[in-house]
Amino acid sequence: MDASTLYALRDAAGVPSHPVIFLILGVATWALHIAAVHVMLGASALTLWGAFSKDDLKRRLAATMLNTAKVSVSIAIVIGVAPLLFVQVIYDPFWYASNVLSAWWVIGFIVILILGYLAMYVFYYANKDLTAKKGVTCPGSMVISIALLLVVGFIMHVLTQQMLSPEKWVEWYAPNGVINASGQKIHDYNIWRFLFFISLSAPVTGAWLLAMRRYLQGKEAGEDANYLALLGSLAQKLAIIGGLVVVVFGALWMATLPEKAAGFALSPWVIVTAVALIGTVLLPTLLGKKLDTGFWGFAPFAVGAVALIILGTAREALRFTILYGVHGYNPLDYKIVMDWYSTILFFGTFAIIGGAALAYMLTVAWQVGQSKEKVYTPSPAVDKIGTVAIWLIVAWMVQFFAIGFYVWVR
Amino acid sequence: MDMIGLYPTWYEPGIGSGWVIGIIATIHVLFSHVSVGAALFFAWLATVAYQQNKPELLEFIKKYGLFLLIFSYVLGSITGPGIWYSTTVGSPRGISALIHSFVWKWATEWVFFVIEVIGIYLIVYLVGRVDQRTHLRIAYIFGLSSLTTMLIIVGILSFMMWPGKEAWFVDGGYLNGFYGPNTFAQLAMRFAFMFSMTAVVGGIVAAGMKDYALKAYITRRLAILGIVATLAGAAMFQWYLSTLPEHAALIMENRLPAWFNTGILSILAGTLAYFVVTLIQPRVLVTSLASVMTVAIVVFGLWPEEVARESIRKPYVAGQYIYSNQVISRDVPGMGIKSEIPVLEEHGFLKTMAFLPDSQRTVTPQNAHEVGRSLAITACSNCHSLSETGIRPMKNYFGGNTDVAMIRSYLLGALATGNTLYMPKIPLKPDEAEALAVYLASLSDPTVAERYAREKSAVAAVAPAAVKE
Repeated sequence: MDASTLYALRDAAGVPSHPVIFLILGVATWALHIAAVHVMLGASALTLWGAFSKDDLKRRLAATMLNTAKVSVSIAIVIGVAPLLFVQVIYDPFWYASNVLSAWWVIGFIVILILGYLAMYVFYYANKDLTAKKGVTCPGSMVISIALLLVVGFIMHVLTQQMLSPEKWVEWYAPNGVINASGQKIHDYNIWRFLFFISLSAPVTGAWLLAMRRYLQGKEAGEDANYLALLGSLAQKLAIIGGLVVVVFGALWMATLPEKAAGFALSPWVIVTAVALIGTVLLPTLLGKKLDTGFWGFAPFAVGAVALIILGTAREALRFTILYGVHGYNPLDYKIVMDWYSTILFFGTFAIIGGAALAYMLTVAWQVGQSKEKVYTPSPAVDKIGTVAIWLIVAWMVQFFAIGFYVWVR
Repeated sequence: MDMIGLYPTWYEPGIGSGWVIGIIATIHVLFSHVSVGAALFFAWLATVAYQQNKPELLEFIKKYGLFLLIFSYVLGSITGPGIWYSTTVGSPRGISALIHSFVWKWATEWVFFVIEVIGIYLIVYLVGRVDQRTHLRIAYIFGLSSLTTMLIIVGILSFMMWPGKEAWFVDGGYLNGFYGPNTFAQLAMRFAFMFSMTAVVGGIVAAGMKDYALKAYITRRLAILGIVATLAGAAMFQWYLSTLPEHAALIMENRLPAWFNTGILSILAGTLAYFVVTLIQPRVLVTSLASVMTVAIVVFGLWPEEVARESIRKPYVAGQYIYSNQVISRDVPGMGIKSEIPVLEEHGFLKTMAFLPDSQRTVTPQNAHEVGRSLAITACSNCHSLSETGIRPMKNYFGGNTDVAMIRSYLLGALATGNTLYMPKIPLKPDEAEALAVYLASLSDPTVAERYAREKSAVAAVAPAAVKE
C-alpha cells in the first residue's frame, strides 16, 4: 500500500492540536499502562505461588498480591484507555486497518478480558483470607485468569504488530483475490516481542515489592522483620533473574525484526533502552542497604517507570522508522484544525483537577495504611486539598453548563 | 488514481456487526449509568449517615460499592472501551470522526474516569477507617467525577446523532459540534433514567440485607428515587424527542417497529409499578425480582432505545456527514472535509477502494459475482446482512427477484441517484451496478452467477466474430 493511499485513509477532520502532543501523551500513558499490566501479571503469579505455599509469610504475601492484582487490572484498564485513544488519533489508518482485519479477535478481547477479570474475582471470593486458611480453593480460576489476561495481551500485541505491515494488508484481506471479511484470522505476530513485554513483569514486580517493603517499614505500628526480609530477597531475585530473561527476549526480538527495519536493532534507541533496563534491574543490588533509608526503597520503581518511558519511546521510534522510513507515512504532518478551548480544557483538567483530586485521595490512602490509629484523620492541609478538589470539579461543571448554554442560545 | 479512505469491512454473517456494537453498547449503558447514579446516591446516603448518625447506612454503601466494583467497574470499565473496539471494527470511520473531533473531550473524561476508579476503591475500603468528613469528601469527589464523565459523553453522543449547531458544518469548532438542544435534552433524559437504573440495581443489593429495618429504609428510598426518576425521565424523553430534527421524527414514525412505542410505554409503566410495590411493601423485594427487573430494563428499555437511536440517524453513522457505509457524503468546510460522492460518481468504487484486489478493479463476466460480493460487503453490509440472519437481510428486500437487469435498473435509478429515503446515495457506475445485481440475484438463486458468466461470455465471443463479418 503506497503512501498516498495511507494518507487517504487518514481522518478528514484532522487533529485539534499539534500531532506531536498526541505522540508524547501516547508514549507517557502507554508507559503507565504497561507498568500496571506488569504489576497485574506479577502480582497474579505471586498470588498463585504464595497460595500453594505452607509458609505463613508467603501466604500473607499471596493475600496482599491478590488484592494488588485486582486493583491493578482496574488501573491497567483505566489507564490503558489513554494510549488507546491517542494511537487512533495519529495512527488511525494503521490502527483501524489492523483491527478490522482481525475483528473477531478485537471483539474477543473484550469478552476474554471480562472472563479473565471475573475469574480473578472467583478466586478472590473462594480465598478471601489466604492467611487464615491452610490450603487454596479453586486455584484453577486464578490459572485461568492469568491465562486469559495473557491472551488479551497477545491480541493487543497482534494488533500492534499488524499495523507495521501495510504492504500485506490487501493480501490478508483478500487472499487469492477473494475478500474474506470475517476478521477471524490473526495475521502477524512476533513471539519474542510479546515475551519481551510479558517478561518485564518480573523486574517491574520486583521493583514494586521493594517499594511495598519500604512503605511497610514506615508503618507506625512497625512490621514483621521476616516478612520484610522475604520481600527484599524475592524482589532481588525477580529483578536479576527477570532482568536476564528480559535481555534475552529483547535480543531475540531485535534479531527477528522484519528485514525492512533490521537496522533498528543497533540504533541508539535500542542501546539507550537496554542501558536503562539493565540499570534498573541492577539498581537494587547497587543500592544495597541504602534501600532501607529515605526514599531509596522507592527508587527502583521510580527509575523503572523512567525506563518504561524510554522503552515506550524506543517502541514508538521503531513504529516511526517503519511507517515513515519505509512506507512514507509521517504521523507528525497530520492536518491541524486547532481547537484551543478543548485543548486548554484538557490540560487544565488534567493538571489542576486531576492533580488536586488524585493528590488528595492517594495521600489519604497512603497515610491510612501507615497510621496505627483505628480511624485516621488527615491533617488540615490534606483536608484543604480535598475541599479544593471538590470545588474545582464544581467549577468545572459550572463552566460546562455556562459555556454550553451560551453556545446553545447564541 | 486518488483513493478514497474506505477501510476493509468486517462482515459478521450471524447477527451483523451492528448488533455486536448494539449489544455491547446496551450492556455498557446499564453499567455506566448505574455507576454514575450510584456514585451520586452514595454521596447523598453518606451525608445522611453522618448527619443523622446512621452508621448502618454505610454498610449499604459498602455492600453496593463492592457489588459495583464488579458490576460497573469490571464489566462497565471493560465494555466502555469495548464500544470503541466494536465500533472500530464495525464502523472505523464513524468512530474516527468522533475521536478526531473530540479527542480532548475524551481525554478530559479519562481524567475524571481515573479519579472515579480510585474513588470507588477508597469509598468502599475506607468505610470506618477514616473520619466522617474525609469519607464524605471522597464520596463527593467520587460522585461529582462520575457525573462529569456523563456530561462529556452525552455531548459526543449528541454529535454522533446531529452536530449541536448547524454552524459546525460551516465554521467547524468543537463547541459548535458538542453543544446543541439535543445535548441538553439527552443529558436530562439520561440523568433521570440513570437513577431509575440505580434504584433497580440497588434493589439487588438491598434485597440481600438481613436487617429488615435497614432493608426497608433503603428499599423505600430507592423506590422513591426510582419513581421520581422514571416520571422525570419520561418527561425528559418527550423533550428529547422534540429536539430531534424533522428527518429523524419521520424515520421514527415510518421505520421503527410497530411495537416500539408500546414497548417503551410498557417498560415505563412496569418500572413504575415495581417501584410503587416495593415502596408499599419492601418485603416483596427479593434478589431474583430485582435481577429480573434489571434484565427487563435492558431488554425492553435500553435495547429498543439503542436501536431507535441507531435507526433515526440513518443513513448517517456520525455527524450527518458520514454514511453508514463509511463514505463521506457532504462537504464540511468548517473542518476542511470534502465529500467523496463526486469522486465516486466520476470513478466509481472499484477504482477508488484501497482494500480491493487488483483482479477485481475491472468487471468481467467471470468475476462479476465476486466483484458484486465485494461491493455488497463494502457498500451494503453495515446495514444489510448478506446472509439469512442478522440486520435487515438483503435478500428480503428483493422479493426473490433474480432478474439481473431489473435489479441493475433499481440500483442505478434509485440507489445511485440517492432517491431512496433512509438509504445513502451509492453512486455505482453501470458495470458496478451490473456486478452488484448479479450478486444480489444470486442470493435468491445461486445458479445466477454461473449462468450470467456463461451467457455474457458467449455474447462476448460472438461479438468479435460479428464485427469481423
